[in-house]
Amino acid sequence: MNQTSNNEFVVEMCSIKKSFGAVQALRGVDVELRHNEVLGLVGDNAAGKSTLMKVLSGAYIPDEGDILIEGKKVSFANPMDARRQGIEMVYQDYALANNLDVAGNVFMGREVVRIKLGPLGVLDYPYMEEETQNLIQRLNIKIASVRQKVERLSGGQRQAVAIARATAFDAKVIIMDEPTAALSVAAIDQVLELVQELKAQGSSIIIISHRLEDIYRVSDRMIVLRQGRKVSDTPVEGDIHEFRERVVAYMIGARDDFAEELVAE
Amino acid sequence: MSFADDVRKLLRENIRDYGMFIALFLIILFFTLATDGLFISPRNLVNLVNQTGYIAVLAVGMTLVIVIRHIDLSVGFLAGFLGAVAAIAMEQYGLPVIVVIPLVLFLGILAGRLTSFMVADLGIPAFVATLAGWLGYRGALQLVTRSTGTIIITNQAFNDIGNGFIPEIPYASIMPEFQKSTLIIGLIGIVIFVSSQINNRARLKRQNGEISSTGMFILKLLAGSILIGGIAWILAGDRGLSWTAVVVLIVAIFYHFMTTRTVLGRHIYAVGGNPEAAELSGISVKRITHVVFGSMGMLAALAGILFASRLQSATTTAGTLFELDAIAAAFVGGVSAAGGVGTVIGSLVGALVMASLTNGMNLMGIDISYQFIVRAIVLAGAVIFDVTTRRSIT
Repeated sequence: MNQTSNNEFVVEMCSIKKSFGAVQALRGVDVELRHNEVLGLVGDNAAGKSTLMKVLSGAYIPDEGDILIEGKKVSFANPMDARRQGIEMVYQDYALANNLDVAGNVFMGREVVRIKLGPLGVLDYPYMEEETQNLIQRLNIKIASVRQKVERLSGGQRQAVAIARATAFDAKVIIMDEPTAALSVAAIDQVLELVQELKAQGSSIIIISHRLEDIYRVSDRMIVLRQGRKVSDTPVEGDIHEFRERVVAYMIGARDDFAEELVAE
Repeated sequence: MSFADDVRKLLRENIRDYGMFIALFLIILFFTLATDGLFISPRNLVNLVNQTGYIAVLAVGMTLVIVIRHIDLSVGFLAGFLGAVAAIAMEQYGLPVIVVIPLVLFLGILAGRLTSFMVADLGIPAFVATLAGWLGYRGALQLVTRSTGTIIITNQAFNDIGNGFIPEIPYASIMPEFQKSTLIIGLIGIVIFVSSQINNRARLKRQNGEISSTGMFILKLLAGSILIGGIAWILAGDRGLSWTAVVVLIVAIFYHFMTTRTVLGRHIYAVGGNPEAAELSGISVKRITHVVFGSMGMLAALAGILFASRLQSATTTAGTLFELDAIAAAFVGGVSAAGGVGTVIGSLVGALVMASLTNGMNLMGIDISYQFIVRAIVLAGAVIFDVTTRRSIT
């Protein structure tokens, strides 16, 4: 790998292929994510967006293709591997334990101990609670107390906790799978503001969404997938109506920027 | 805010936590009045604790099993069977107690791991897997006691676990009418209680968390101290603390600490709250399932030892329906069948509530059929209370 790509991209995915039986979910997809960039990933159902992100987050192992993190080739056997390399995923259904408090969820699976005793290690509550407090203050999340149980939070607050949790451990890339699905209008605003805040603080983010207006609002660049292929890779610009029309044209197959590659194959 | 308002606010916000203690207090008060103080006499209190012991130990293990959304129906007969194994090991093979107890506890862990193998590795619902265990251990118990019938245990050290009392401090001649060792344990208990409460409050204050007023806090400290001190005082005036009570205390303290302060405890509750999320966070749900059922098996073995020791024998029907008593105790104690919710202390109080009802109604000479109906009402009432108060908060 040369020095320039090392500097420019935080993630490069090169001709990723993944099949499930006879179904080719991904047919050679290239994706690059620059440092401090928000990338929107759109496409119809079964276009391969979730599969692609599951490959990046270690949930699926690709049949072919390479993943490079800051220019270095990596391979993930499971989500913990990916997480250790700085890839964090925010799942659609929040993936929170409602019976635990906010701090407990942020540190779930990564508890900090005061006394090391293996599984009987003694939890360092003051440290974890303080760190969580700093985190939600930094991200401007409005939660009364880090000791509040997650089941008592609103949908928007829960999503904010899920996102905060992903950012808590110096993530290089944060992947958000439909972060605004199933939220009220006010809560959607809250989450999008959080995404903008994260970008302002230097995070690199990939967002999957069905809601084109959300992608339009927060993304720098957008990739459209269709039937397991990338059909568009363009900056987000123009007014929203023009943007929407353009995206839909790619999603339904009326336009395709990479058709010649398909022919070449 | 006036003091009375403070009390009301505290009660309203913590009714779920304090509800059970209040219920237990009312039950004790009622039976004390109804039996002219017989209920609270040292002899009966010792009896009550020793009767509750084996169910309490099972309820602690059952709490964790229910927290991770499973159930264990096999523990009653497993306890009975392992009690019989202990009796046979001592009476027929002449093994010393010091070998028999660890051996039986180890067998308990193995039995628990067998269950968790079926549940976690083979994916069989815990209800079915442990129902099979219920049948199997029942058969095993009958098999090992078939030739002998009830096995009388002659080992004094073993029988002391269920019937004996902690020794007096040698050469302590002051206050001859009280057992000093029990008083000292009570005193240590008060010191631990007060210091942990003060620590906790200081931590909350540092983090600008909500704390109750100083008056309320002192009242709480006083109430707790009087309760611990009072029980120690009553017991010390008789024969002192029973070994069963010591065993239950050790189990309670260890499990309370494990569930509230350690990584393992946190992982158990995370798995109970959202198994998928826990797995995605790198917590192995399988491993937690193995640990929880393994601990349940070990506690079943301990319950078997306590019961056999108390009866000074292993009977052919030992352990019958223990599992349902333990499950009832856990639910009375605030464990939620949906998983993720429930505390060790809650289940212990639940066990004490159910045992107090039986004990008190026995003292009053109430017909056994009414006893079952009263306990049914208390169980249903406790869970209804739990569900409705939870709904009003969220």
